[in-house]
Amino acid sequence: MAFTHLHVSTAFSAHYGVSWPEQLAQAAAADGADALACTDRDGLYGTIKHLRACMDAGLDPIVGVDLAVLEPAEALLNSSPATAPGSTGREQVRDSGLLQGRDTGREQLREAGRVVVLAHGGNRAAGYRALVRLISDAHEQRHPRSPVGVTVEQLAARAIDPQTLAPVLTVLVGPSSDVGLAMGGRKYLLPRRRFARWHRLMPAGTLAAEIVSHLSAPGDHLSTSSAVRMLKLATELGVPAVLTNAVRYCDSDGAATADVLDSARSLTPLTALAGPEPQLQPNGQGWLKTSRQMTDVAREIISAAGLGTAELTRLLASTEQVADRCRMDPVTDMGWKQPVVPEVSVIGIQHDPLTELTLRCEAGIGRRFPGISGTPERVMRARLQHELQIIDRLGFASYFLTVAEVSQMILDMGVRAAARGSGASSLVNYLIGISQVDPLRHDLIFERFLSRDRSTLPDIDIDVESAERHNVYSRIFERFGAERVTLMSMQNGYRARGAVRDAGLALGMDEDDVGTIAKQLWRFSARKFREAMAEKPELREFSDQVERSRGARTRHQQLDLLVDLTERLDRLPRHISMHPCGVILGDSTLLDRTPVQPSGLGLPMSQFDKHDMDPMGMLKLDVLGVRMQSAMAYALREVIRIHPSKAEVVEAGNHPVDEQGKGPSFISDDGRIELNAVPLDDEPTYELIRSTYTLGCFQIESPGQRELIGKLAPREFNDLIIDISLFRPGPMKSNMVKPFLENRHGFAPEVYPHPALKPALAETHGVTVFHEQVLKTFDIMTGCGLARADELRRALGNEAKEPAVEEYFRRTARTKGYALDVIDQVWDTLKSFGSFGFCKAHGAAFAVPTYQSAWLKAHHPEAFLAGLWEHDPGMYPRRLLVAEARRMGIPILPVDINASSGEYRVEWVLQKDGSKRLGIRMSLAGLYGLSGAELKRIVAAQPYDSLADFRTRAKVSRPAMKRLAQLGAFDSLHAAVKGRTGSSASRADMIAHLESLPSGAGNRRWDPMAGQLHLPLEDLELSNLQNRLPEPTMTEKVRTELDLLALDVSGHLMTSYQPLLEALGVTTSDKLLGLRSNTEVMVAGVRVATQTPPMRGGKRVVFISIDDGTGCIDATFFTEAQEKSGPLLFGTRMLLIRGLTRRTGPRGISLQALEAWDLSETATLPLPGNATGRPLAPELLTPGAFDGTSRTLAVTGFNG
Amino acid sequence: MGMFTQSVEVSCAQNGLPLRLEWQGRTYRLGAEPVRWYERRNWWEEESRAAAGAGAGLVDSEIWRVQARLDGQGPLLTFDLSRHVGSGRWRLIRLHDAQQQRTA
Repeated sequence: MAFTHLHVSTAFSAHYGVSWPEQLAQAAAADGADALACTDRDGLYGTIKHLRACMDAGLDPIVGVDLAVLEPAEALLNSSPATAPGSTGREQVRDSGLLQGRDTGREQLREAGRVVVLAHGGNRAAGYRALVRLISDAHEQRHPRSPVGVTVEQLAARAIDPQTLAPVLTVLVGPSSDVGLAMGGRKYLLPRRRFARWHRLMPAGTLAAEIVSHLSAPGDHLSTSSAVRMLKLATELGVPAVLTNAVRYCDSDGAATADVLDSARSLTPLTALAGPEPQLQPNGQGWLKTSRQMTDVAREIISAAGLGTAELTRLLASTEQVADRCRMDPVTDMGWKQPVVPEVSVIGIQHDPLTELTLRCEAGIGRRFPGISGTPERVMRARLQHELQIIDRLGFASYFLTVAEVSQMILDMGVRAAARGSGASSLVNYLIGISQVDPLRHDLIFERFLSRDRSTLPDIDIDVESAERHNVYSRIFERFGAERVTLMSMQNGYRARGAVRDAGLALGMDEDDVGTIAKQLWRFSARKFREAMAEKPELREFSDQVERSRGARTRHQQLDLLVDLTERLDRLPRHISMHPCGVILGDSTLLDRTPVQPSGLGLPMSQFDKHDMDPMGMLKLDVLGVRMQSAMAYALREVIRIHPSKAEVVEAGNHPVDEQGKGPSFISDDGRIELNAVPLDDEPTYELIRSTYTLGCFQIESPGQRELIGKLAPREFNDLIIDISLFRPGPMKSNMVKPFLENRHGFAPEVYPHPALKPALAETHGVTVFHEQVLKTFDIMTGCGLARADELRRALGNEAKEPAVEEYFRRTARTKGYALDVIDQVWDTLKSFGSFGFCKAHGAAFAVPTYQSAWLKAHHPEAFLAGLWEHDPGMYPRRLLVAEARRMGIPILPVDINASSGEYRVEWVLQKDGSKRLGIRMSLAGLYGLSGAELKRIVAAQPYDSLADFRTRAKVSRPAMKRLAQLGAFDSLHAAVKGRTGSSASRADMIAHLESLPSGAGNRRWDPMAGQLHLPLEDLELSNLQNRLPEPTMTEKVRTELDLLALDVSGHLMTSYQPLLEALGVTTSDKLLGLRSNTEVMVAGVRVATQTPPMRGGKRVVFISIDDGTGCIDATFFTEAQEKSGPLLFGTRMLLIRGLTRRTGPRGISLQALEAWDLSETATLPLPGNATGRPLAPELLTPGAFDGTSRTLAVTGFNG
Repeated sequence: MGMFTQSVEVSCAQNGLPLRLEWQGRTYRLGAEPVRWYERRNWWEEESRAAAGAGAGLVDSEIWRVQARLDGQGPLLTFDLSRHVGSGRWRLIRLHDAQQQRTA
């Protein structure tokens, strides 16, 4: 008889389990088992993966959880309950009753061991429902930091089905329970009393004793002798005993990983965990032992207990009995793959949902296609009919109505929203207002979104303003009811940096040493650490260290271990967190189907992640907070604030006017711009895009995209769709971009594998770019229909399924008469691209905000940049967008105590020649160390007429006051005084004065007394300042700004390095375009972006972008340049780069790097003096603005 | 009690149970049923590598407590033997009872 493991933690028991559900299921099946349990700690985190793994391996899944048991703090484990002090000992526990138990004050509860809880199967989900609810109980937070767990009373209450009163859960009380833990020190009475309490409180048929032996030293935890005692207790009380191995890893090799996880969980090095009070597993025997090995363990226990074969048989048989009652049918017990959507009555629909959906589509026709008739109408109606039929067949009408409801609700909140994803392929979505893209106009295929062959719920994604996302979530909870909504979670696994840190912790290594190593790990998986050490130049030094440490028996011998342990941790889940956008919608049974726990947001979060949605039939709505939407919403508000009428907006934005001088209709009379109504053919917008000065624009600001934009030179909206779809790993990897561009610019003739494919591929000049084209290609060459074509497309790239697709494609295309070479050629394209490509509907949906952001930058750059600074949406550090304003000639206005608010505001500036223009005022919000309350007080009491006035009414801390002075926030007050009194004191004098004031609240010498009217005469404090110190230099000011704002405001930070740059002979960004291709130049700047995209052929290429004040320079480091630059690649803030110019298009130029230096290491730079050994001129050694600041991450976006 | 780490030769029966051991040129025969358990090793101090998939025996070793007599006669001595799970090599790690003079 095969043995069934009933206590198994998978890797989804964070910081505990080692092996993945697939590994465990495969191993169990290989050993001949026909069932396997998954009992992760604290939740069902790995359960759905376990279900799938069991189904694939032909096992019956068993589902459970490993939970802490809570009890009143007074009834401590090691004190005998009978003699426990106070009145809340055993008696109260007994008297509190089953149902009242939930209301005992949780703050007095503490953990008393752990038990395994298994759900019974074959009872139409009653067992699974009880398990789910129990786990949600365990996570309910009565107060912050209350422990996760349940009381025995809660367990007892859930173990019986409330309707049938049948047992639906089995609790395994084993070595980690209060009973098992009480066995330490060979006590006899306490464990017996504890076990008797379980026996008394748990309903009949819901309790079993868990017998475990890891064959540890006699008397130790998990020893055979302890197992014997547990077995005897069970026999004595007539409780069934089950044998488990409390599994944490699939095979014995995982034991060391489990040790490291124990260390990471407790944040304690292994040595400290090993003794003097051992907290690690006693040995490495907790693997998924074979049936034979488990029988040996059982035999050893039985023999040590002095029992015989009959008892051995009974122990193994009772294990299988419990296993049998816990076998789950994924479909009837857990609702496998059965889509559940909210009851339509919730959204106020009483009749048939399909009728309602049809009515709403009809209503939408008038709105979306006014005056449509003739052939276009026939085409449109046929499409609508087609979509509605499929929706009807799948029974998804209520799903569409639900999404439409959410989408309408968001718009009613006044929040910017845009549909994203393949939902844009649906005419129904367009008609009922979910999406804003006309699928007929852009030739989008419905089957890419939904088809009769695809029974899973389709994804509809909605982008909203990031700043409003939480409000939107709360409204969805309100609208549908808390019992139908929960947030989706996501698993966060170990990546290289986290893994090396925790491996270092386990080994007790110095935190800084490990930190230094961690910083060099850049975008590779921890599993390949050793491989990376051999290949990556930035790891060369570390690799040498490891090499040197070998043999030498020093502390450094740990480095080799560090690498091994890091690799072991790779990808293991660390914790779950709220998914950035997933909201799960269900009917009133949702919380019977997924356990929930608190999220950081206060709203409940499901323990299931995105991979679990489809199997569990859950409807997930992606409501993604997009900062760019917030930035654009902010920009539109700034436009109307500064230009409160249509005429002013038209003038400021240089918008087109008609013959009567009237501006466009998307601007309303009060100056409000309806961004979604802006026509998609604005020439200045495309001009801006073609200029490649697209920093800040959605999707097209990255170095790679700026290069592609420069080559592609978009002229119309469809070009933007193509551009966005091309800039994906797939097309970049399969080298489609080059032929596409050559055909587009007419350098090479368009080539079609077969004339029949021309209609499908013409829009992209014969190159396959979109999923939609893959579908059409399949359909044209095999006649399979679009629905089938999408199934075929999904199988591409799947090792198991692709051969069948190829066979089908070749055979059918051959029967349809296509030549072999045509078939070969087309198959190669499909194969290399099909799985990677981009759905055109995605591209179209993305291109809308791309166009809108470029439109704002072209017409209202000040408001747009203010929005970007405010919401910081892009990939770059904010300072680069400040530099962009400087490049565009937009005045950047310093922090000012009267003019600055908590936001970046657009402001009119009077120029020297008397004219006005728009500038952007620095916000107080970014100021280091200024609290939210201080900021509010400052803004509320504006304006101020003196330092004393400010001190009295704004009441900021002394350090904050000084920082404001350092930034020049009082300079305007000071300047006014200077103008009146002729005082010539400097900003430095003011700072010195503020520092000289005695601290403490008692000092009010300069402050008016209470009740005294503050006379707006002179600021005595400022006018009495003595002129002692010189005004801070520009370099000093910029350094202060970098330290306090992480921005260079007064000037570009590179300006201070001018003498050095001249001595080095560097070329600036704005001059590069005038150079021939292949010119050797030196460039220098501050790092703004670092990327290592996947490349064709597997060779790594590093892109580093630097900003020198005149623009960005994008440098490409190929293998040789990486070798030469070594640790500089990822470790430096300011770079000097020698390289060759590479012209990429009419407006594009980039740099192929040959070598790089750290600009702050003056002695290593290729200066003439350094070669001859002569001392350098002093001005070359003067520290620049960036020297001595610590805000590296915020300034460069890189924590090198 | 003496603490050791010395190689010993152990002969086992077919079922894996030790029968006799050779230590310091002498043979000891088992005189009672041996007890076996698995004991943790502080592998992170003792090893310089712990590569994934390196195999069994990293985290624990098999310990046998055997009682044996010199040449099958004399007093029963209690030995703790460790067997490396990977290599199968035996070591004497503890010798109980009044045999301290022999540990030098």
